[in-house]
Amino acid sequence: MKLYKKEGNTVQVLGFPTEEIEKGEYLLVEDPKRCRSLVLQVIDIQFANIPGILEELLRNSTDDRNIYGENFDPIEVAPHITYIQDARMLVCKIRGTLQNGEPSLSSAWLPSRSQSHIRKLSTTSLLANAKVNSSRPINLGEARDSSSITIDAHLLDGKLNIVTGKKETGKSHISKLLVLSLIDYGAPVVVLDLNGEYTNLGLSRTGEKTEYYKKVCILCPGENFKVTLAQTNLRVVLNILFHALDLPGTSAREFRRIWKSLKEQDALTMRRLGESIRNRQCNLHVRDALNSRYYSLVNSGFFTDNQEEAISLKESFKALQDGGALIINLRNTSTIDRQIVVEFILSKLIELLTQWRLRAVFLFAEEAHLYLRETYWDDIVTRMRHFGVFTTFVTNQPSTIRENIYRQADNIFLFNFTNEHDLEAVSRAARVDAETVKSIAHDLHPHHCLVLGRVVRDYPVVVKVRALDVQTMGQTRLFFTDQN
Amino acid sequence: MIGQLPFTATPRYNFPTEYQNLQLPHNFIELSLRSMRKLDGECLVPAAISLSDSVESHPSLYAPSPSNYESQSLRSIPLKPSQQPATIIAIDVSNIKLGETDSGLLIAIRAAVVWMRNRQYRYLRLGPFPFHITEQNKQKICHLFRAHNFQTSPNSQITPKLTDTHNRISNLLECWLQMNISTRSQDSIVLWDGSLTAGTPDNPMQFLSKLLETARNRLNRILAFAKTTTLRIGNQVLTDLTTETPSPCLIQVKSIPLNPSTPLRFLGNIYVTRFARSNCSFRLDIDKNLPIEEGIAAVEQLLGNDMLYQGYPETLRLAHIYSTFTASEVIGIQRFIAQTHGLRIIMRPNLRRLLFGPFGKGVDA
Repeated sequence: MKLYKKEGNTVQVLGFPTEEIEKGEYLLVEDPKRCRSLVLQVIDIQFANIPGILEELLRNSTDDRNIYGENFDPIEVAPHITYIQDARMLVCKIRGTLQNGEPSLSSAWLPSRSQSHIRKLSTTSLLANAKVNSSRPINLGEARDSSSITIDAHLLDGKLNIVTGKKETGKSHISKLLVLSLIDYGAPVVVLDLNGEYTNLGLSRTGEKTEYYKKVCILCPGENFKVTLAQTNLRVVLNILFHALDLPGTSAREFRRIWKSLKEQDALTMRRLGESIRNRQCNLHVRDALNSRYYSLVNSGFFTDNQEEAISLKESFKALQDGGALIINLRNTSTIDRQIVVEFILSKLIELLTQWRLRAVFLFAEEAHLYLRETYWDDIVTRMRHFGVFTTFVTNQPSTIRENIYRQADNIFLFNFTNEHDLEAVSRAARVDAETVKSIAHDLHPHHCLVLGRVVRDYPVVVKVRALDVQTMGQTRLFFTDQN
Repeated sequence: MIGQLPFTATPRYNFPTEYQNLQLPHNFIELSLRSMRKLDGECLVPAAISLSDSVESHPSLYAPSPSNYESQSLRSIPLKPSQQPATIIAIDVSNIKLGETDSGLLIAIRAAVVWMRNRQYRYLRLGPFPFHITEQNKQKICHLFRAHNFQTSPNSQITPKLTDTHNRISNLLECWLQMNISTRSQDSIVLWDGSLTAGTPDNPMQFLSKLLETARNRLNRILAFAKTTTLRIGNQVLTDLTTETPSPCLIQVKSIPLNPSTPLRFLGNIYVTRFARSNCSFRLDIDKNLPIEEGIAAVEQLLGNDMLYQGYPETLRLAHIYSTFTASEVIGIQRFIAQTHGLRIIMRPNLRRLLFGPFGKGVDA
């Protein structure tokens, strides 16, 4: 391989057919005189612009018709010609510099074009050089060169992560892997499970209970997940009424009075709340508005007056203290009910974290745009992070995540996208250049993921995500079942 | 061609049996290898690559300069394409300068033979053959090769200038191929690129006569097409001659007087082709010892059997295409020589470009 051209952060390297290089792989340009090396990542492979190649192709294209022939080449020059014609141009991005084994993100120097030696850099060496320590290793899978890729759980701690890719590429799979790995290190995890994909996280593929069985708690709103009004504070209920049920401000003020009155009487139950609204002497429209919201709460089945039916999130989290996951199964929940449940969960989480009843929690939110209100996005990225809610968004519609989220994301696990609009959305991430995202993500195979961000010390790495012995629930239900 | 659907079984590659053994003499390959043996450690200054550098060995390079040409009587011959099946064979050779070494020149030569039978084309490419020509070995190269082909005494030949040697070697290869084809084929139309002018260092009278005789004895008809010519009728270049006769037609140039002192001799009847309505005309030489009617019948058979592109036979066009070097091939051959013979490739500053910038010539500009 030879250095050919550098423009900005892009370096073109001339490669030859005998050198097996794929997109996403790393190259090390060693300049022996300066004792420094430039770390490059291949983001695209093109044919080298060989002079005369068009004439050659046109000449050979006649072979496709009814022209057949033979070449008598006793001196065997032809392989050398083919070698030249198959030369390729590797378009690379500079990822940093290695000097005396010390990595730096500097690219303010240029190695010698004539003297430099270029070689492939294995992902293991790259991550070792980049000092990706693994005091709490999470084995993600293997790189293209079959070396194992391990990230540090520390680098997910306190961070904002995004898992995105098109359908059936393995997003939920890596999310499950991260959830289980965090459980291994004693972390509490909450999963907002839109499609009920995580409900069998404690079972192996054969249906047997695994070591995680007791650490995974599945909560189905309206079934085994009900709460009493007494467990809920006014702010949470008002959030639900405002954001999930669109209650107008005037009506909210009346509701506040009703709530205070019931609380003073120590009668915060759904039944008494209904009676109070019905008997309230107030504007007819306000009463009607409150009544309709009340029935929405009742119909959600999420609130109960039966103390035995209700569960305490505080207790549930206590059970997760040594590591575990609370899976909120939103599969059979309507849109409004989903919002009610999520409002409750997030408010409760903040409450527990503010009171230091919980140290921190890892929140996995699948397709969050379907249940997360607008203002929560900023909250999650800025305010809630300080309380100890470390969110991982999982989505197949990257455009539903706002640009500022991408800009502040610490880690991105990017699967294949072919649509340019989707790639455009993801390319707004601040931790990598748009070209890399667009070029590499476009050609990722299923279950291959481009890992960007802190977990890989800003060296984008392509990983084939390892298999898990967990019952898969994210598979699409098919009508035609007689397939091979 | 476009309308043909590929429903037929893939045709097996199968040369006409008489050409299967068409191989170069070992001497030629050895010559190529031997010439490069002493290259080890030498420096190569690659030649600037331009496709126009790929030179066909001859066309009318040795055509006589106009002397006392006067207005000659011309005859237009209308042509009627004949559908009578015929095998058409075309031969072409190209050479290219790869660069200069400390001691000489590096060149590459390649030949192509294309056969057309039943509207199907077959080709055989020979080479590329790299040669390292130095002052020390150029004589040897020419003599060895010439002796092999012409059975003439090595001492009887004049050694060409170093810069002309590559044209001479490729011309010799072409002659060898022409002889081989003439000997092995029968009742075919053989297309050459160039003319039937004898008496040049590359086309000695004796050899060309023998070649044509051999072809005639095997019932082959040689048609030599030259794209350019220096021959003139009056003040007009031969290929600019016009006629009222609708195409396809030939314009026969009945006689062109030659300066008595020149050793050059025309061994063919000279015609100007007007095969298509386009403006392209070519000089066509047909063996003089072939009856005129037979020569014209051969042209009519060519028109009825082969495709024409701008009035030029497709078989000959393919032979040219297959023999010519592309720039990527030149780089490939340079790499081959550098790797197998330890040649160091160095780039010297281009003085022309340095001095004249965009006002240089050709690839220098």
